[in-house]
Amino acid sequence: MTPDELMDVAQGLQEKDASIPNHVRVCTAASCLSLKSDELAKQIKAELKEVGKDKDTKVRCVGCMGLCSAGPLVSVEAEDQKPVMYQKVTVENAPQIAESVASGKKVKDLVCDTDSPFFARQQKIVLENSGIIDADDINDYIANDGYQALMTAISEMQPNEVLDEITKSGLRGRGGAGFPTGLKWNMLAKTPSDTKYIICNADEGDPGAFMDRAILESDPHRILEGMALAAYATGATEGFIYVRAEYPLAIKRLKTAIRLATKNNFLGSNIGGTKFSFSIDIRLGAGAFVCGEETALIASIEGKRGQPRPRPPFPAEKGLWGQPTSINNVETLANVAPIVRKGGEWFASIGTNKSKGTKVFALAGKINNTGLIEVPMGLSLREIVFDIGGGIPDGQEFKAVQTGGPSGGCLPEEHLDMGVDYDSLRTAGSIMGSGGMIVMDKTSNMVDVARFFMEFCMSESCGKCIPCRVGTYQMHELLNRIAEGEGTMEDLAKLEELCEVVANTSLCGLGQTSPNPVRSTLRYFRHEYLELIDGKHIPAGAGQEVAS
Amino acid sequence: MAWITKNSGTMAIETREEPYLDDELKAEIEANIIPRYPDRRAATLPTLHAVQHKVGWLPTQALKEIADFLGSAPSEVMDTATFYEEYWLKPKGKYVIWLCQSISCELMGRDTIMSKIKAKLNIEPGETTEDGKFTLMNVECLGSCGTAPCGLVNEKLHENMTVDNIDQILDSLE
Ligand SMILES: Cc1cc2nc3c(=O)[nH]c(=O)nc-3n(C[C@H](O)[C@H](O)[C@H](O)COP(=O)(O)O)c2cc1C
Ligand code: SF4
Ligand code: FES
Ligand code: FES
Repeated sequence: MTPDELMDVAQGLQEKDASIPNHVRVCTAASCLSLKSDELAKQIKAELKEVGKDKDTKVRCVGCMGLCSAGPLVSVEAEDQKPVMYQKVTVENAPQIAESVASGKKVKDLVCDTDSPFFARQQKIVLENSGIIDADDINDYIANDGYQALMTAISEMQPNEVLDEITKSGLRGRGGAGFPTGLKWNMLAKTPSDTKYIICNADEGDPGAFMDRAILESDPHRILEGMALAAYATGATEGFIYVRAEYPLAIKRLKTAIRLATKNNFLGSNIGGTKFSFSIDIRLGAGAFVCGEETALIASIEGKRGQPRPRPPFPAEKGLWGQPTSINNVETLANVAPIVRKGGEWFASIGTNKSKGTKVFALAGKINNTGLIEVPMGLSLREIVFDIGGGIPDGQEFKAVQTGGPSGGCLPEEHLDMGVDYDSLRTAGSIMGSGGMIVMDKTSNMVDVARFFMEFCMSESCGKCIPCRVGTYQMHELLNRIAEGEGTMEDLAKLEELCEVVANTSLCGLGQTSPNPVRSTLRYFRHEYLELIDGKHIPAGAGQEVAS
Repeated sequence: MAWITKNSGTMAIETREEPYLDDELKAEIEANIIPRYPDRRAATLPTLHAVQHKVGWLPTQALKEIADFLGSAPSEVMDTATFYEEYWLKPKGKYVIWLCQSISCELMGRDTIMSKIKAKLNIEPGETTEDGKFTLMNVECLGSCGTAPCGLVNEKLHENMTVDNIDQILDSLE
């Protein structure tokens, strides 16, 4: 298939869609699905038949619409009407939804305000199809420009031209460290070998993060297209998606997507009649957080225990089965097709100086609108938490927002006006991480939060190196003592010293970043530690001194 | 803690005559799994999954059989099997309740849910009820933090758990 032929197919699909007067979309991503939205979709179809609207209405099961806390969400586009979104729709509401399609009148009680900042302030690239298309229907993806970038690239562009677009875009890895994707792929392209691998890292394990899961469940073809483009740009021949076994729905949708893409020759041998061949297979994780680290992930795919190894050699030189390999995060890969389609410059025009494009964040904890959002890099924390997130529930006061999971930190109120990008977060003592944002109100105890993350690191440590294996255990003990009110100033000094040692001497990111939650809470909420240790020991003004 | 190898050499290994990895299962793995891997050792994880799926857990004897089948040392298979939380080295109940213990669920009150389940089933995390019906486990973030607290019962996700609805969920399981 040539790009033009694909364009024709897409146009045909769009016209067919436009000829259907009414469209109903029911979110069946994991959150809404757990509230039985699949049954709801069936019931809506049945009720549409009752009111004689089944023939001229298309009901789709779509991916996450973002506001999961108000799920199940349903959007209705009735003939000549503005689209309406409904929230907390139950099976019992199905007749009302069908009726509204027939009459064109809204179901007032269920309306979800899409002019609210939660929806209005977002800018969608990664999630552009999420909540719009049926993940299991490849035609829906094609009708929305799907596989356009891949077909154009392999028939009209040289691999290095694709690489150039990615480099120009300034895309940085969304898996945590923010490594420039163009640079990584250049390294792989330059390493000579007949066999090279592209691995999609879908081992999302940071507590509080669920962006990757939503992308996989809502728009799996986007990941396949991104991987195929990566393969074309770097000369890779085979791809693997390493996905957590705890995400059964994502696995199911990926399998369907791979089958359909292969059947339509977007994957497989001689893609679109060109010389380019690339296939993708799935590998399941087995419940070990450290397997998200790239060298551990490689060991796990090789059938071994998932322990990291020192780098260099980097996977781009010596990766899976000793062959050059690029490992990229789900969200990173989700950005690739739009970049190739619209050009690197377009992407580079969004975001901040050193962090381009958008970022998907998962809002959770003590915040009104929990769910998934996508915003341009550089938006302030205040806008994210208070405008988009709707502020803190139950009349409580904001205390801190945790970003970056167990490798990140807690940022207090004084940082709310900071624009969020890789560099600003790092300067403030946290990291972007994968994009989890957990909001805490005044009822949360920061020592507990630090202890919580330390417990996580301790139990997820693979045990290969001593600083991490023993250090996380000791730091956890010290935090326990302090949290229980039995700590001393010596304990605190020991804790701070251990933070240094473990950060500087651990082998992989898990150990190196495990002190971050402690360090950031000590930096901004030191008084809480001191209060717990012993009121008498608090140097006067300790709280303010730290806050400044 | 992944680095603690749970099964030790001092334990007597229970064996039975009939293999866990029988000819039928071997043929199935040979046909569906092995061709997708460049060498047999790479198929360790999916083979462990396949045997666990059939048997329900991974007895030590099964680990030995898998090692023979894949041409690895039994210690290598055990090394891998003990590393991952997903593999069961002791029998589990018909229903495994995985309650998320990560930060969002913690903030949103997972402790009360845990106490409720413990009291109702009279077991601690990691244990199985005497009738073999329920096993209770802690698990890290399930990626549903927006609707915390949450948990999995086998593969089914439950969100916005409350002390009341966990009661109903457990009662509804046969
Ligand atoms: C302990 C640990 C866990 C990690 N978990 C993940 C993960 O779940 N998903 C992910 O994409 N990257 C994870 N990473 C980062 C990966 O090692 C790697 O940097 C990333 O997948 C590269 O992709 P990117 O360049 O697209 O960001 C983890 C790193 C460490 C140290
Ligand atoms: S830092 Fe921790 S997780 Fe990483 S290799 Fe060392 S022991 Fe393993
Ligand atoms: S899962 Fe339905 S809105 Fe997120
Ligand atoms: S913290 Fe429980 S699902 Fe994420």
